[in-house]
Amino acid sequence: MSTVELEVAGLVKRYAPQVAIGPLSFSVMEGEFFSLLGPSGCGKSTTLRCIAGFERVSEGRITLGGRQIHDVPAHKRDVGLVFQNYALFPHLTVFENVAFGLRLRRMSQAEIAERVVRMLELVGLPGQARRYPAQLSGGQQQRIAIARSMVLEPRLLLFDEPLSNLDFKLRVQMRNELRDLQRRLGKTSVYVTHDQTEALALSDRIAVLSQGRIEQIGAPADIYEAPETAFVADFIGSSNIIEAAVTRNDTTGSALRTTAGLELLATADPTKIADHCLIMVRPERIRLLEDEETDVLNRISAEIDDITYLGEDIQLHIKAASGERLLVLLKSERRTRALQRNAKIALAIDPSDIHFVRK
Amino acid sequence: MGESRDFRRPVWLILVGPYGLYLALLLVVPAVNIVIYSFLTYSPTKIAVPVLTAANYGKLCDAYYLELFLRTMKLALITTMICALLGFPVAYWLARARPAIASLGLFLLVVPLMVSTVIRVFGWMVILGRNGIINELLAILGLSPVTIMYTETAVVIGLVNIFLPFMVLPTMAAIERIPPSLEEASTNLGANWPQRLVKVILPLSLPGLISGALLVYSVSLSAFITPVLMGGARVRVIGSQIYDQVLVTFNWPGASSLALVVVVVTLLLVFVALRTTRRLARLEVGR
Amino acid sequence: MSGQQPRLLLLVVIFVYAALLAPLVIVLGVSFNPGAGFDFPPKGVSLHWYANFFSKEEFVSAFFKVSLVVGLLTALLATTFGSLAAIGLVRLRFTGREAVEAFFMTPLLVPHILLGAALYLFYARLGMKSSVLTILLAHLVIATPYVIRSVTAGLAGIDPGLEEAAMSLGANRVQAFAKVTLPLVRSSLLSGAIFGFIISFSDINLSLFLSGPGATTLPMQIFSEIQWGGDPTIAAASALQIVTIGMLVLIVQRAFRLRFVV
Repeated sequence: MSTVELEVAGLVKRYAPQVAIGPLSFSVMEGEFFSLLGPSGCGKSTTLRCIAGFERVSEGRITLGGRQIHDVPAHKRDVGLVFQNYALFPHLTVFENVAFGLRLRRMSQAEIAERVVRMLELVGLPGQARRYPAQLSGGQQQRIAIARSMVLEPRLLLFDEPLSNLDFKLRVQMRNELRDLQRRLGKTSVYVTHDQTEALALSDRIAVLSQGRIEQIGAPADIYEAPETAFVADFIGSSNIIEAAVTRNDTTGSALRTTAGLELLATADPTKIADHCLIMVRPERIRLLEDEETDVLNRISAEIDDITYLGEDIQLHIKAASGERLLVLLKSERRTRALQRNAKIALAIDPSDIHFVRK
Repeated sequence: MGESRDFRRPVWLILVGPYGLYLALLLVVPAVNIVIYSFLTYSPTKIAVPVLTAANYGKLCDAYYLELFLRTMKLALITTMICALLGFPVAYWLARARPAIASLGLFLLVVPLMVSTVIRVFGWMVILGRNGIINELLAILGLSPVTIMYTETAVVIGLVNIFLPFMVLPTMAAIERIPPSLEEASTNLGANWPQRLVKVILPLSLPGLISGALLVYSVSLSAFITPVLMGGARVRVIGSQIYDQVLVTFNWPGASSLALVVVVVTLLLVFVALRTTRRLARLEVGR
Repeated sequence: MSGQQPRLLLLVVIFVYAALLAPLVIVLGVSFNPGAGFDFPPKGVSLHWYANFFSKEEFVSAFFKVSLVVGLLTALLATTFGSLAAIGLVRLRFTGREAVEAFFMTPLLVPHILLGAALYLFYARLGMKSSVLTILLAHLVIATPYVIRSVTAGLAGIDPGLEEAAMSLGANRVQAFAKVTLPLVRSSLLSGAIFGFIISFSDINLSLFLSGPGATTLPMQIFSEIQWGGDPTIAAASALQIVTIGMLVLIVQRAFRLRFVV
């Protein structure tokens, strides 16, 4: 897994006169599972459709396996697309659906039959060949849709939010199967979704999109633990984002003062420091202190504004003594369950949990 | 949806009664009248004498009538086929066009539909007439004039023109129900546009096409204004025959028997259209 | 899906639309012709034939005293009775409701020329001569189903919960209907009415049989004139019809954004 399979360079798509997406650039390695993640309207589906050939590219290049495809008609690209609504042909049997592309390539009946049967077994639906899509469940239809694209052995597989029509439990199950299948076949895949959990669970790398531009590309852990922009920090998981000014910055760390006057210490990342910056702290990284812990870095006195019991976690809206309002997520245990509104508590943030993000 | 609870009898009588009664008086009674007439004997002096006979129906098997039926059915069939050939692309284009364009397209389709047939046919008479536009153009090009008016060709041109929207509208409705993602899926799997048309669009729009075709065929069968104005005495169809018998020769028994046969055939065709649509609807997405 | 449609498609579409609209455009053009021939393009612009139209008793009478009157009355009566019927069909539950609905729709299935002949024979048996009334009665038969269909569709889309909410706030059944449902189906009613007018105004196949010295509709008048030779006054008369109907269709499409179901 080391060669670049798909390269998107400077992609721009205009719906005159505005620019819908771009310029966008990213590369996907051979065999990689790459996700395009973002809220609705961010341009992820448009990007996917440009790669598939259903949208004409205004500017930029798309290269697949060394071959430029952005000019190639949609039916001649070596790309498979799995649709959100599966797009199974209702008037054809499961067998004929999966065989559709093979028939267009004029293969012999025997070879078609062999490939289709093999693929149906691979997706776990042997013996469904004679049925019609309407007779299958959502999960089964999804697998047929995947089988139909995979049987053609394309260089690249595209997925357009394929799991969003399934209910939660099924979604989790299908997600795992999809990941499994992709790993086994080693197919380079680009996956579009708005569900961050899905993206984190499935991908080798994620590109987070907002308003037609890429905010950050990275492995799931990097995206989550080290978001680079406020958008990414807020879109993936929850975050507390505060404006702060840097009062001291050297090899031991940085000292910050937030606009409201809270003083904090953070570990320095020299490239990210500006006099005024945005800092981000994940709610689950804020620690509840015992009454005795007084000599702690970044100690914050606060009052609880609101408590929400979430089952596994307890969510607090707190107001720091300095005035900041923060979101805190604590694990549910006896001590945290005993907390009451308006109680005064002490919290602490480890300096390494304070991240600097761009706007 | 839209239904609510039961009412006492009187209420529905007030709501549904008036029109029901009206139809009974102005549709059912005249229909029964026609049936009665069809079994009376024609009399040149008294129009009809109360002597029951099946002779009127018998006459419908004469050579004259057979030729009439064949000609009318032939013209209707040709019209239907041309309407299908020309109407299908328009239906597809309308179904897939952007809303603003589709709106305009529909408008331009519906206005001719709503304007009286006489006027539309009149326009064609001006185009195809001896001193009409076609011949004017030919004269400019130095070619000799053609006679199209008062031929079967002219009648077909007229019929296609009048009934094309009847083909386009149901077909368009059927194509609209085909999700564009199905077309995209077939393209993605390697189909070019002819393959897409044959393997995906046509099979799935068949209910609409058949509906439209049967509709066009049945209205063409009973057309009168168009054949009379475009074909004149040279192209007689069922419609001309009925008109003549009612208003000219006053052979009301004869007209009635012919009218009944046409109504029965028309209703049969519509019935078949509805059944086919319903059976093929199984294949439509989401059913 | 850009670029997926063959260029051929657009060509065919343009050709078909051109052929579809050509007769109307030509009629409009001819109506402005200064000369007596049916020249297109017209050799000039003259309102002579329009003036001629308004000077001829038979045309003016056909347009104003018959077609317009019958059209408006048809619209009014068809909407009234059709809406009542539609309300009954959608809101009430009674045995045979589907059969009644199918029965109400039968005028749509019967070829107009046959209906015309049948009514002619019927009127003859009753000794009724052609008049605005006889034509009106006939037009009501063919126009009302359109109103019923339009209002039925409009009513079906309304949540009965709205009326129930009104009643829970103190309105009785009739008040709830009048204050809540009626305003919501207003567009269906209006478009049904306009449709009814158009159907009546442009009808020729019924008028063929039912027109007479007592009353002649405009399309019938045009038809007679065509058969007896005629001059471009026919074109002027036709142009007036085209413009009237064109405007009404535009209103329905714009104001009510409704699709036409044939």
